[in-house]
Amino acid sequence: MKALELFLQNPLAPFHYSFMNEALLVGALVGTVCAVLSCFLVLKGWSLMGDAISHAVLPGIVLAYMVGLPLAMGAFASGLFCAVATGFIKANSRVKEDTVMGVVFTGLFALGLVLFTQVKTEVHLNHILFGSLLGLSQSQIIQTAVIGGFTLLVILALRKDLLLFCFDPGHARSLGLNTTMLNYVLLSVLALTIVISLQAVGIILVIAMLVTPGCVALLLSDRFSQMLWIAVASAVLSCVAGVYVSFFIDGATGACIVLAQGLQFFLAMLFAPKRGLLIRRFLPLKNSTAQT
Amino acid sequence: MIEHLAIPFQYEYMQKAMFVSALIGGVCAFLSCFVTLKGWSLMGDALSHSVVPGVVLAYIFGLPFAAGAFFTGMLAAAGMGFVKAKTPIREDAIIGVVFTSFFAMGLLLISIFPSTINLRTIVFGNMLGISDFDIMQTVIISGFSLAVLAVKWKDLMLFCFDPNQARAIGLNTTLLHFTLLTLLAAIAVAALQAVGACLVVAMLVTPGATAYLLTDRFGKMIGLAMLMGVLTSFLGAYASYFLNGSVGGCIVVLQTLLFLFALAFAPKHGMLATRRLRLRNYQEAVA
Repeated sequence: MKALELFLQNPLAPFHYSFMNEALLVGALVGTVCAVLSCFLVLKGWSLMGDAISHAVLPGIVLAYMVGLPLAMGAFASGLFCAVATGFIKANSRVKEDTVMGVVFTGLFALGLVLFTQVKTEVHLNHILFGSLLGLSQSQIIQTAVIGGFTLLVILALRKDLLLFCFDPGHARSLGLNTTMLNYVLLSVLALTIVISLQAVGIILVIAMLVTPGCVALLLSDRFSQMLWIAVASAVLSCVAGVYVSFFIDGATGACIVLAQGLQFFLAMLFAPKRGLLIRRFLPLKNSTAQT
Repeated sequence: MIEHLAIPFQYEYMQKAMFVSALIGGVCAFLSCFVTLKGWSLMGDALSHSVVPGVVLAYIFGLPFAAGAFFTGMLAAAGMGFVKAKTPIREDAIIGVVFTSFFAMGLLLISIFPSTINLRTIVFGNMLGISDFDIMQTVIISGFSLAVLAVKWKDLMLFCFDPNQARAIGLNTTLLHFTLLTLLAAIAVAALQAVGACLVVAMLVTPGATAYLLTDRFGKMIGLAMLMGVLTSFLGAYASYFLNGSVGGCIVVLQTLLFLFALAFAPKHGMLATRRLRLRNYQEAVA
């Protein structure tokens, strides 16, 4: 195996390249933001919303390119448009929400594909769809750091309100919180996070970054503050492991990151101290006494 | 002018693309009625992404793509069922975790064995360059799925509307659940060739949603959905010749336009109709 040979020759080789170090840094940052947000999404049941917004950014990127605006701005606008359009159609028709989302985001994604084939761009479709963590420019890194930092601040500042909103919107409303605003805050934060994650893993796999760390954390902890830390640790670890492994096997970086997360979920499912399958299997007695 | 419009029909590959797309569009539309009723959009999206590693593996080992795709699709569905039964996590999150892992595996395989299959085929589909062997697989899958749907549609309908009622009158709902999952995986495999992994879910949702706006009777809904599925797929493939664009993109844009049209103008459930009704109720109440 060539990958193994490379690894044995110099396991620290990836760190000798500046583009690898940058990739690790940006990956870890994006992973952190996604992980924090994923704890909320998993509680709220917004996986499909994350998937929808991430696909819906495509026409925005192409249009922004055509007009000469920053791509991130176009992506954000069309991602948010998807969420608003979904809300509007759901309120004005009898079609179920998940169906509406399916219709809207695929419509936008298809529009993006058709537009993309009409313009001669230097933007590589593959980079948008599958990420380009290894070829980041200086300005992209700065942009990611600024947007990521801002998003993280907003989420952490509104942490308690958002948590209540995700757990029990009715209760949040009765306490006097503005749930409509919180809904839009969460949607905007989601769209921003997706915009910066595109570079790391691309449109199609963003949803993994936005769901899996939260699920891993949910298996390992019952307390939300703990969940946040576990999710962040899990996401950063996956990003580092994914980037590192992809260097040796010469595979797609985004895919490696997502697979590392999937693996962590699998391990957590088996070995989680309280909810793991093995614990429940081999200690049925202790478990049943705990329940009674 | 007319000669110009007839150009696509002169090419064999365009004829193939149009007719195979229409077939797939019809079958997908049939299934979409059940998917929209059941609220399975995310499941459709998930299965259509989960078949990708199977396609890549099939190409690497020289097997028919449908076999590999179907295998990983079902594996993903089984994995989701397993995780859901064993953990307290919400179903939508589980679906997200599982299908992205499968899709990532597919991408990784493509990046390690770049010569096997083009990434664009996965994203865009490959309707214009579809091989006869692939057409044959697609036709067999579609025919088989159509037959199952035609025989079982009443049971499936009851299962989607009200599983408890279905169980109460003695239907085997577990079997129906798996039938629907299997059909979804099979059709996702067939549609992958036409529109690509990312847009399969549109074919599996949009025609049903549009038809749902247009009628209250399920039999009629199926008919309308299939009609729209066939027409949009045929026309989308046709239009892609002039736009020089992706077949899948054109088909799905057409389907979305139809949905928006129905949303505004549907006779009973459209926005204009409901607004008019509300206005009349208000006027009657005032008078």
